[in-house]
Amino acid sequence: MQLDYFKLHRNTRIGYLFVLPSLLVVIFVLVYPVIQAFLYSLKPEYSENSEWSFENYANLISDDRFVESFNNTLIFTFFTIPAELIFGLVIAVLLNKEFKFRGIVRVAILFPWALPTALNAIMWRWMFNTEFGIINYGLISIGLIENQLNWLGKEPLAMIAMMSVSTWKTSSFMALLLLAGLQTIPKDLYESAKTDGASDLKSFFYITLPLLTPAIIVSLLLRTMDALRVFELPFNFTDGGPLNTTETISLYSYRVLFEFVEFNYGSSMVIVQFILIMIMSLIYIKSIKNIDY
Amino acid sequence: MPAKDIYAWPPKLFPSPGTIDNYIKIFNSSPELLRYILNSTIIAVFTTVTIILFGGLAAYALVRIKFRGSFSIMLGMLGVSMFPNIAILPAIFIVFKNLNLINSYPSLIIAHTGLFITMAIWILANYIRTIPFEIEDAAKIDGCGPFDIFWRIILPLSKPGIFATSLIVFIFSWNEFPLSLVLLHDNDMRTAPVGISLYPGEYSFPWETISTATFLSIIPVLIITGIFQKQIIGGLTSGSNK
Repeated sequence: MQLDYFKLHRNTRIGYLFVLPSLLVVIFVLVYPVIQAFLYSLKPEYSENSEWSFENYANLISDDRFVESFNNTLIFTFFTIPAELIFGLVIAVLLNKEFKFRGIVRVAILFPWALPTALNAIMWRWMFNTEFGIINYGLISIGLIENQLNWLGKEPLAMIAMMSVSTWKTSSFMALLLLAGLQTIPKDLYESAKTDGASDLKSFFYITLPLLTPAIIVSLLLRTMDALRVFELPFNFTDGGPLNTTETISLYSYRVLFEFVEFNYGSSMVIVQFILIMIMSLIYIKSIKNIDY
Repeated sequence: MPAKDIYAWPPKLFPSPGTIDNYIKIFNSSPELLRYILNSTIIAVFTTVTIILFGGLAAYALVRIKFRGSFSIMLGMLGVSMFPNIAILPAIFIVFKNLNLINSYPSLIIAHTGLFITMAIWILANYIRTIPFEIEDAAKIDGCGPFDIFWRIILPLSKPGIFATSLIVFIFSWNEFPLSLVLLHDNDMRTAPVGISLYPGEYSFPWETISTATFLSIIPVLIITGIFQKQIIGGLTSGSNK
């Protein structure tokens, strides 16, 4: 007994020693800055002797531009995530079937994920260009529109364009995560369903979907967090325009922090975004726990 | 892509050949583009090496050394990995400013290490879990200490996992935007995504230079994903089914 206690003690010391470097970096880069941002947000201005108050948070509510960026972020998230899920699911189910050139198709699927979002957004900005862009050219040649559309300069159009770019960029990542989930479903389940006379559609809804639910929730969680903090896409694609209709919380807080240099006010914005993301994650995590296998 | 193709109507899907000119031109007229790519490479390489060393040690300890609190640390790491990167911007900028590290490589390397290490530990832990206990036990009987076991047995045996994690971390670091934008804002210090996106002036947007530069800076990422897609997919998805 004495020996076991000693061993546990020694293991604890070594364990912490091994974890320490990572722990320190994570605390320095992630934990401390968030706490610090919260403290900044409780002071009206950046100085030692200003008083603690919730003034910044009160100001947020009456700041129309912040409310709009908040709404834009939510609208962006609530439209892109379901679209990505549907596309991702279709791609994953198709990729799970045996066919020729499956390897090549998988590489093609991985490319959009691997591209830097910032540069990707610039390329798309060119493609959505009113006069020279391939999008307008394509739409005109198939007869969907008659005149060139000012995609990035008109109100709902810019947001729609930004959502489509995001969906294009991330559906494939969703597909990869779902595909890994699909491959854990035993094949004989489908075979016995077939002998019982179930159609493909039926086995999708009664076997695939229920068994895939945990993987779906995990990938929705990852993507929702990403969508709620989207920054480089609006920064490079629309610059938040026209008239701030594509400005997200991240983009507006960046401007307040580094362009208007209002550090304390900007900190209250990032804290609101932080709380929003944490609440959403908790909802997802709770729903994973509620699934019984 | 030559300028006449860029402003062509109808737009050309496949630009005409003779585009090497642009690449030569770009390095003569805007040498900073090469500098951006060099900066990105330095940042991504150092971030990856640090993460593999630190993260590998942590992953091994969390999965294999039974110690009090290891489960809570694992959960805590997963929790903080959900922190939005914008939330850390104000404080981390102030800290590095006080340390006089703004516009220096270490600032962004440290920031990227913190940002991506939790994900790396998660992936590495899943690989280390698959290494049979017997090998470790045999080494213990031979008198190997925990660090020896990590260095001589765990690291070599989890090569595929380390490889996959390195590729993913490299790509994440190469592509990261907001922190790179804020911490390295001198023109000489910018990373490729930031430098290229801030390159154009207000009124004349030099599309042919931009598209050439963009293509150059995504080449490393495209090559990596093209050759190692299996490892990357394996690494990316190893955590989602646990």
